[in-house]
Amino acid sequence: MASREVFWNISYGYLVYLLAILGLAYWAFRFYQRCRIWRMGRPDEAAQGIARRIPLFIRTVMGDLFTHRRFFRSLLPGTMHFFLFWGFILLLIASAIDATTYYSGLHMTGSIYLWFSLIVDLAGLFCLVGVILAAYRRYILKPKQLVTLPDDGIVMILLAVILVTGFMVEGFRQAATELKAHPDWAVWSPGGYLFALAFSDMSQSGLRFWHRFFWWFHAILSIGTIAYAAAVFSKLQHLVVSPLNIFFRSFGPIGSPAPIDIEKEELLGVGRIKDFTWKQLLDLDACTNCGRCQDVCPAWATSKPLSPRKLIQDLKGHMLRVATAPHEADTNLPALIGENPNEAEIWACTTCGGCQEACPVYVEHIVKILDLRRHLMLVENRIPETAQVMLRNMQQRGHPWAGAQAMRLRGDWIAGQDLKVLAEGDQSSTLLWVGCTGALVERNVLATLSLTHVLKAARIVFAVLGEAETCCGDPARRTGYEFQYQIMAEQNIETFKNHGIQEIITLCPHCYNTLKNEYPRYGGKFKVVHYSELIAELLHQGRLELTQALPSKLTYHDPCYLGRYNRIYREPRQILKAIPRGNFIEMKRSKDRAFCCGGGGGHMWVEELPGTTKINSKRMEEVLETGVETVVTACPYCLQMFEEVIDQKELKEKLRARDLAEIVESAMKGSP
Amino acid sequence: MHTIVCVKQVPDPEIPPAKFKIDPVTKSVIPPPGVPPVISVFDERAVEAACRLKDKHGGKITVISMGSEKASEVVKHAISMGADEGFLLHDPAFENLDSFGTAHVLCKAIQKIGSFDLVLCGRQAADWGAGQVGLILAEMLGLPAVTLASSIEVGDKKIRVKRLVRDGYEVLEAPMPSLVTVSSELGLPRLPAGMRLMLARRKQIPIWKAQDIGADPAHLDKARAHTEVTEVFVPIRKVECEMITGETPAAAANELAIRLVKRIQ
Repeated sequence: MASREVFWNISYGYLVYLLAILGLAYWAFRFYQRCRIWRMGRPDEAAQGIARRIPLFIRTVMGDLFTHRRFFRSLLPGTMHFFLFWGFILLLIASAIDATTYYSGLHMTGSIYLWFSLIVDLAGLFCLVGVILAAYRRYILKPKQLVTLPDDGIVMILLAVILVTGFMVEGFRQAATELKAHPDWAVWSPGGYLFALAFSDMSQSGLRFWHRFFWWFHAILSIGTIAYAAAVFSKLQHLVVSPLNIFFRSFGPIGSPAPIDIEKEELLGVGRIKDFTWKQLLDLDACTNCGRCQDVCPAWATSKPLSPRKLIQDLKGHMLRVATAPHEADTNLPALIGENPNEAEIWACTTCGGCQEACPVYVEHIVKILDLRRHLMLVENRIPETAQVMLRNMQQRGHPWAGAQAMRLRGDWIAGQDLKVLAEGDQSSTLLWVGCTGALVERNVLATLSLTHVLKAARIVFAVLGEAETCCGDPARRTGYEFQYQIMAEQNIETFKNHGIQEIITLCPHCYNTLKNEYPRYGGKFKVVHYSELIAELLHQGRLELTQALPSKLTYHDPCYLGRYNRIYREPRQILKAIPRGNFIEMKRSKDRAFCCGGGGGHMWVEELPGTTKINSKRMEEVLETGVETVVTACPYCLQMFEEVIDQKELKEKLRARDLAEIVESAMKGSP
Repeated sequence: MHTIVCVKQVPDPEIPPAKFKIDPVTKSVIPPPGVPPVISVFDERAVEAACRLKDKHGGKITVISMGSEKASEVVKHAISMGADEGFLLHDPAFENLDSFGTAHVLCKAIQKIGSFDLVLCGRQAADWGAGQVGLILAEMLGLPAVTLASSIEVGDKKIRVKRLVRDGYEVLEAPMPSLVTVSSELGLPRLPAGMRLMLARRKQIPIWKAQDIGADPAHLDKARAHTEVTEVFVPIRKVECEMITGETPAAAANELAIRLVKRIQ
């Protein structure tokens, strides 16, 4: 019966457990010290509802981590990590099984033993291949965006040596025991087998000596690696810190900072590293410097100074600096928002969510940036001038678009339309929330009108607020002007309640996101629907029919606040694909990988860094690559951004930008 | 240091031109519905100037505004920027006063407030643009006045003001107390930050009527006003464009020069 003697040739083998305990104790002590660093932060809501987190954690681990879904966005790093991850886990399990069988007396024999050996050896081989791929990528391919530190190389060498010596130990054992007696067993451990063949000429005593030597070498090196990881807080620590971070990931909507309670809160945003919560500081350690966030960031892609990876690493640097001198006065520490990170980086973010979507360990970048913006805005009053003008408009006029430029007033778009406008005391269960852009900007009013025609054709009963509608507050919130946002939110919620509103249809994904995901925390919970969801449902129910073919190749640009923020990818596509003889082409970067138009995060009003490519230009290149004649989107900012590029680059002959509502109206029976 | 700032609420200057309507009979502006009035642009700079001085030297800022009940909004706005206290001067007798009447009301209110070191006003109101109230007020209070300030410094019981002139600026010194009117070259006013915004919203602004400040009915009597509005109208923009041509660019330029000289003569 095939088997092997565990701890063969090893005397005092149990000492390895003692060493392991010492190593782990040291590791635990260092980890405890690290926890204390995170604890310099403020309390976080993540500490509540631990029991609720368990199902979410299991779902995330099984759905994202085990499948390596986020890793495989890029084939080479994805494969590399998949091999490392699964190889390592299987090896761990195998060691645990070995220990159990030894002490319980349940020895593995026969074909169980052989299959076990094969799987474990293959795990080790794949792990080794993973290390080689990693080294190849980092040191030979040397992709520009990958930052390499000494720790990276050290970890690779340690892993490689551990794996290779593991096979060597196996080889020595096999050469000494089963190679000649049971060669049919030996091949079931292919890694060890190769070494065994190489060692086959050695004497028994030689084999035994080297086996013992490398066994202890391998064991001590492994435990030593754990100690090394703890000593320098190597990136290897992500094996523990990253699952911890995933466990404490935010339940709530992305990019949504906590409200500031004016009665109690003295802290306005984050001006010192300690002002972050402990969970946000944990994030900084979970980051492995992989750069996936940087790779997808629209600001970085257009040469802005912002790199999400660098931001997180800079903040981590501040955290460690404070940790070395916890009682040092704030004035002696380098300013958190000074050189690294600097203001330009913080304002360059469009809050598109690409970074968070790409991060395999669920670092949450956006709320940190918004917290920093809050400090700059509310405490130091340091904000870009164009943002100041916009916020002043929000305050004085109730919307971000400058009056004279917009050339229209809030209620103008209703002129000549047969719509129910809510007057004081009127009630309506369904409200069409138009949003500032859809009411005030000429081009976008066309989309609003299209939508009202579509809704009326489908006999949806709804009312509008007309000139009584004020901004949902999103531009104020994203630029850090929290109190203005709070004032507007509370005002709007009161308006909704006074009119008995239960359901709100929105045109704009930013309004949609704010009303649906953020207003509940200010006392207003309503059923909020983006019009694309509604139209898709109406098509499904047969209450709307798209019968006119549109002689145009078209593509759909996923708005960030509809797509990544709210996972609405299917409905707009269902609508476009319902157009008869339609010709729908998907862009390369679409759905959760869509590239931002550059309008979010207050950027409709904040200038991009002069001298750099504009984000909307870059996205337009991707649109043009598809060869379509029409780019469709479901967000007024995206539409504005595309129209701007079409105008600037004189693409009017080649390409049109349309709102989804306009397309639906055109494709409906009997429309002009 | 105690600074008093006078602010006025005006119809929004950013109303789209097509929406701007006047009533020629009552000789007043009809603001379009749904467009809230705002703080006069230069008055906001005056508040900003006061806040900057308070940032540097400490002290107190009091804001007063003469207007309708809605004008308490601009007083609150000033408080949210950094003013400590504010009063609204509201009375039917205060309606449709000219610059002299307005200055009288403000003068009485300031006298009621008591001692102060500096009075700040906008250089002119963003609606009527007369630019007189500040100077008349200074005269009534017996204060030295400096107009068109782009910066104000305080030190040693004196103020130093950079005053705009046509091709630059001049620097003037004045003793305290005095009155300064502020121009927009002062810079962008601060956005109300943090808690102040919320706290200001909740504040109740006391209303002072004519009898509270001891206003003299003679000064409020419209029949004896110093100025009279004869007509209010929207100017009709006429554009005439004549193309000047010539055989060569030099000839066309010559022809243009001749035309211009003829126009001047």
